[in-house]
Amino acid sequence: MADKILSGISVATGIAIGKAYFVNRNHKAHLQRQTVAASQVPDEINRLHDAFTAVESELTATRERVPADLKDYGLLIDTHILMLKDPKLAGVAEEYVKSLGLNAPWALEKAVSDQEAAFGAIDDPYIRERMQDVRVVADKVQAKLIGRESDLASISGRAIIMAHDLTPADTVELQVDKIMGFATVRGGKTSHTGIMARSLGIPALVGTDKLEDFVRDGDLVILDGLSGKVVVNPTETELEDYNERAAFFENYTRKIRRHCQLPAETFDGSRVSVLANIELVEEVASVIDNGGEGVGLYRTEYAYMNRTELPTEEELTEKYVDLAAIMAPRKVVFRTLDLGADKFISSFGELNETNPALGLRAIRFCLKNPQLFKTQLRAILRASAYGNVSLMFPMISGVKEVRQAKAWLAQAKAELRREGIDYDPNMPVGIMIELPAAVMIAEYLAHEVDFFSIGTNDLIQYSIGVDRTNHHVSYLYQPLHPATLRAIKLVVDAAHQAGIEVSLCGEVASDPFCVPILLGMGIDSISLTAQAIPGIKRIIRQTNMHDCRKLLKDVLECRTVSRINKLVMDNIFKHFPEEVSFFSSLLENDEAPS
Amino acid sequence: MMEDNQAANSQEEDVLSGQVVVANEHGLHARPAGLVAQRAQGFEADIKLVNAEQEVDAKSILDVLTLAAAPGDVLEIRVQGADAADALASLTTLFKNKFTE
Repeated sequence: MADKILSGISVATGIAIGKAYFVNRNHKAHLQRQTVAASQVPDEINRLHDAFTAVESELTATRERVPADLKDYGLLIDTHILMLKDPKLAGVAEEYVKSLGLNAPWALEKAVSDQEAAFGAIDDPYIRERMQDVRVVADKVQAKLIGRESDLASISGRAIIMAHDLTPADTVELQVDKIMGFATVRGGKTSHTGIMARSLGIPALVGTDKLEDFVRDGDLVILDGLSGKVVVNPTETELEDYNERAAFFENYTRKIRRHCQLPAETFDGSRVSVLANIELVEEVASVIDNGGEGVGLYRTEYAYMNRTELPTEEELTEKYVDLAAIMAPRKVVFRTLDLGADKFISSFGELNETNPALGLRAIRFCLKNPQLFKTQLRAILRASAYGNVSLMFPMISGVKEVRQAKAWLAQAKAELRREGIDYDPNMPVGIMIELPAAVMIAEYLAHEVDFFSIGTNDLIQYSIGVDRTNHHVSYLYQPLHPATLRAIKLVVDAAHQAGIEVSLCGEVASDPFCVPILLGMGIDSISLTAQAIPGIKRIIRQTNMHDCRKLLKDVLECRTVSRINKLVMDNIFKHFPEEVSFFSSLLENDEAPS
Repeated sequence: MMEDNQAANSQEEDVLSGQVVVANEHGLHARPAGLVAQRAQGFEADIKLVNAEQEVDAKSILDVLTLAAAPGDVLEIRVQGADAADALASLTTLFKNKFTE
């Protein structure tokens, strides 16, 4: 047996085998607080400046390696270099050595504390957070001064990076070719580590408990991003086993990537559209590369976050037109703002909601703030002149809400017409079905719109009444709860009865085990994270619609989640016995943690 | 000679100043603050940015950041030194162009 096998949450698949390398940034704990004799002050000052200069030349070298498509990272390093050269750090630290006789690390720490006080007093949260950058820069200098260098930049061979947490600033310095994978203690499914790892095509785990206790620098580790495990100092047999698995996996990925541009058509000729969920316009390249037939969910929130002022119509239009034009003739479905007031930095004040998930958010928030809503509607309409654009409203609970939202849309259209600005008058309008109320009245709602999109993540939470981020109850979050399946079925049937299309976006759509059931329901399209598209397309292409309908029928007769999970897993094991270990899934049994 | 020196000195000691508006969308955040510091570092003159209650060194990105100037804020640029006039003109243009180079 290996020394230890640790579990984490996989955020990027694959297998890496290599030496562990710890990124330790807790320099504060190693600070030696000493004073220096007057005679040594000049030497200490030289030491201080040497450390600053050394870090500066490292950062300058890193800056030159940043690829052009990571422009934001480049700008971030520019900022770091300027901070490094700032008299308020090096200069003030030098003063502390001179006047108080502090040693260089202590003097620097004191200069940083001064900045902490200055930044702490700032109201603007964006600027206040820049203190993190000051810390990052100062930590690098401290590492030089204390002689404990464990920076990413100094890795000599290829390594698997272990860390308590990785910040975007850390990932800037990655010498990409040297990193085989990541494992961190902190971080969740959506953390930056995962995004970075997926774009590099290397495995990554987050939430790996006890990582720091059981792994040391130089340990041989297997990072299994398929089953979410870190195997520390494996045996020969385990190594052989994993080497084989890694080769299989590589083979498999190459195969599905090769076929990802083919249509998602079952053996017996049923077609389903496979689209991508995106948050940033920059993701379109990955959508197209992975065989996405369009964007089924464009989350428009990003432009509103981390800023003090609302985006203008011109700013939104520019972004939206870009997206519509690049994707054309492929479809892009814009979801209007799905935020609560709590996400806006300063524009709307505090609402003090006891229960924000049930509060003023998404379409409710937009209808309360028509000016903001109309600005976005106008921008989406303007983009519709440049491509194949659809629009949908999130969190709809009833017919009246749809009509109100559509009335604002009609008004935006009328304004544009008067102003002589182009838009697509036939732009399809749909709604997200994510509240149980909307499920129950789907047949009424279907007469109000051109399409439905089922948002399963929220639908599961709202119908089971469970917050999946609350670990006391998250075991109840069950994608294949009989209630969820009935809800989806009801919505699909209501849509088809009314002659409109129904799509499904939510993690269920990227779960290989769940997809056959969705096919059986007769869903018209699914929308998922771009990286998962090749694998899901392959499953669809290797499936019979006839089998999917049969599976659905059996599943709908089950009364418990565990029974349903067993049926869908058996189905995949039967049809994909060799690949099944490469699939990551949401499905877990609904047992309460002891 | 004495007189000449004094004249030169007093010319150097003259504080030039001008007002600028923070006209870009986000205010003096990291990027614009960095550009201000970078530009200011190119001059010998001593350059200060002043808002209602704070005066900071324009050559320090940290100082400029802690000014936390919001869009629409009016700042005073105070410059003193050999190339004061050029520095003032250059920084004023930077603000006017909303920090695009």
